[in-house]
Amino acid sequence: MDIGPYVLQLFSGLSRAMVLFLLSAGLSLIFGVMNILNFAHATLWLLSGYVTFSIFTFLSEQFGASPWLLLPAIVGAVSVMMLVGLALERFLIRRTYERELPEQLLLTFALVLILGDAIKLIWGLENRRINLGVEPVEMLDTLINPYHFVIVGTGVAVAAGLWYFLHRTRFGKIVRAAVYSRSMVSALGIPIPMIYAMVFALGVGLAALAGGVFLPLLPMALGVDLDIIVQCFAVVVIGGFGSMLGTFVASIIVGVVYAFSILFWPDGALAMIFLIVIAVLIWRPWGLFGTELRY
Amino acid sequence: MTTKEKQWDALIDQLKLSRRDFVFSGLAAGALTLAPRFASAQAGATYKLGVLLPSTGVGANYMAHCIKGLPLAVAALNKRGGLLGKHQVQIVYRDTETKPDVGSREAKSLILNDKVNAIFGTYSSAVALAVQEIIHEHKVLHFAATSNSSKITQENYTPYTYQFCPDSNMQSGAVWLAVSKMAKKNNWKTFVSIAQDYEWGRDTHKGFTTGLAKVAPKVKEIRQLWFKLGETDFTSYITAIMAAKPDFLYGAIAGKDGETFMQQAGPMGLFKRVPFPGNLITVTELKAQRKTLPRGMIGLARCPFFAHLKEPIMQEYIKRDRAAFGPEGYPDDWACMYYDALGGLEQGAKKAGSIGTEAIIKVLKGATIDTCRGKRAFRDCSNQLEVPSYVGEVWDSPDYPFPIFKPDTMVLAEAKEVWTPTCEEVEKLKKKRA
Repeated sequence: MDIGPYVLQLFSGLSRAMVLFLLSAGLSLIFGVMNILNFAHATLWLLSGYVTFSIFTFLSEQFGASPWLLLPAIVGAVSVMMLVGLALERFLIRRTYERELPEQLLLTFALVLILGDAIKLIWGLENRRINLGVEPVEMLDTLINPYHFVIVGTGVAVAAGLWYFLHRTRFGKIVRAAVYSRSMVSALGIPIPMIYAMVFALGVGLAALAGGVFLPLLPMALGVDLDIIVQCFAVVVIGGFGSMLGTFVASIIVGVVYAFSILFWPDGALAMIFLIVIAVLIWRPWGLFGTELRY
Repeated sequence: MTTKEKQWDALIDQLKLSRRDFVFSGLAAGALTLAPRFASAQAGATYKLGVLLPSTGVGANYMAHCIKGLPLAVAALNKRGGLLGKHQVQIVYRDTETKPDVGSREAKSLILNDKVNAIFGTYSSAVALAVQEIIHEHKVLHFAATSNSSKITQENYTPYTYQFCPDSNMQSGAVWLAVSKMAKKNNWKTFVSIAQDYEWGRDTHKGFTTGLAKVAPKVKEIRQLWFKLGETDFTSYITAIMAAKPDFLYGAIAGKDGETFMQQAGPMGLFKRVPFPGNLITVTELKAQRKTLPRGMIGLARCPFFAHLKEPIMQEYIKRDRAAFGPEGYPDDWACMYYDALGGLEQGAKKAGSIGTEAIIKVLKGATIDTCRGKRAFRDCSNQLEVPSYVGEVWDSPDYPFPIFKPDTMVLAEAKEVWTPTCEEVEKLKKKRA
């Protein structure tokens, strides 16, 4: 039996999983800590992709084209988008903490439309993508884009970094505590508004990192944010809102199930994902790694 | 051997297995449109033209040049006096967002609130089929020029719709014609299909597989892959295609999805392993993917300007758009087809001696009109314009800053070569409104 195609399908599923994880991690973190369902999360990801593209183009014009310029472009875009995140939290999101979920959704959906129009005005309607000129490499008797290794590596590194941050740093422990009991954290004298602002900026920063890392693979185009946010919601529902481990595992489940569904039952690939979501919502509504406390 | 056969052979040999712009141009054209209205000595009633095209969603990249260019073409028409020399044309634009519900809502609003005389659009077949219900109910003239499901002029036929684009049967006909010749030459036996999972994708795939089964019954489809509109990550599809090890890949992928697929499939080496003949490669793709499109790839186009450089209407159109949009402002396939629609409206009104919808649809029935693509006639039974499809090899031309189809191997698959179904069959399909 030739296992090559299955290994490659597994690899493509892992690559898709890491795309979803990088994007869903910020969404899950923001909801877990702040109880804000940020519908505009993928639109901020899209915006960061355009920002990365502009910085990369600018740097290429200044210093000559080089794929390595993607690194400073991503760092620049993450910094810019974290500032955007801080501003959004300070002037918009903060006003909705005491509001009901539908109002939060309306506000963040309005952000989707506003940011979408802003992108259209600034960058126009054309797709934006960075071409790194990567050549395919041979693997298991077939060819693969080596950039997928970068995606998978980044996803695993971010997962490890987030785990270290949340479990080994003081700020991370405060964030985890806030997920379970904001009132107790506040009672200990820790300024909750500052925690919220930092978490929101961190969430947007993760989205920005995802936007930059994916740019050589996924062209940024108006409308893709609305498509991908649905899959991100599926990931966080399966994994459990607020649980990074859950988000990571759920991303792998979604990515791999989707990849193998394409191989064996392409018509039902997307349906398979949402069948899992339905199953989780029925049997474990707080997600595979979430806790009933949050639910 | 005829010239066309030689072109097919040469083409096969090449394979060898190996919104800001809109706002500004809209405002400018609005001003241009209005200016001559006051200059005309015997001005008639203004002819309101509803334009239903997406500036957002999957088809937005295809429609950008149309949305910018159509107001300029209308302004030029108005400068000549407008329809019948006295009816100025005024564009009322609406974004369909490539969504059927939005398209039908906007069509209703254009007809009931803006009182438009005619509607041009839309991009997506699914949207066009929804819009047809509205225009048929209100008896409004409808010119389709990009949405090309054969259902528009057959199952969903209405006398108010005229089609300026080769329909999905004609386009897939050109592909199965080309592929059957390539399969014979290269001994291809198997293929995998990948297509957008909506009206156009399904219709085009059906047309291709049905046609190919007739002319090359030994070539078997071993896997079908359907993906939703707006797919962002094709990695798993590409690995699944390579795992099947087909002799060739057939695709019905248009719009931004096509661009995304090509950009991801190239670096994954798909085109090095599996030939991909006949996917839609219009001037939009040739311009946008000039650096990454594999040279030598065999593509399908709908109305590429470089195929009709000798036509005076095309020459005039290119000249005006380049003057307005810069040296790279060559019109794409989509803009050309809407330019023909506007020409069809002007000529229809002239033949009818009226701007009345009933008079125009009566004279256009089976009529021959001048277009960017030469003199072309409407098919009597379906109001489908008899236009060719273009199959060619992506090639770097010294004359353009982007690749085009290599002129000496480009094949124009004329409508009558792939003209299915017959008029008798079309009449049977038109039962819906009987």
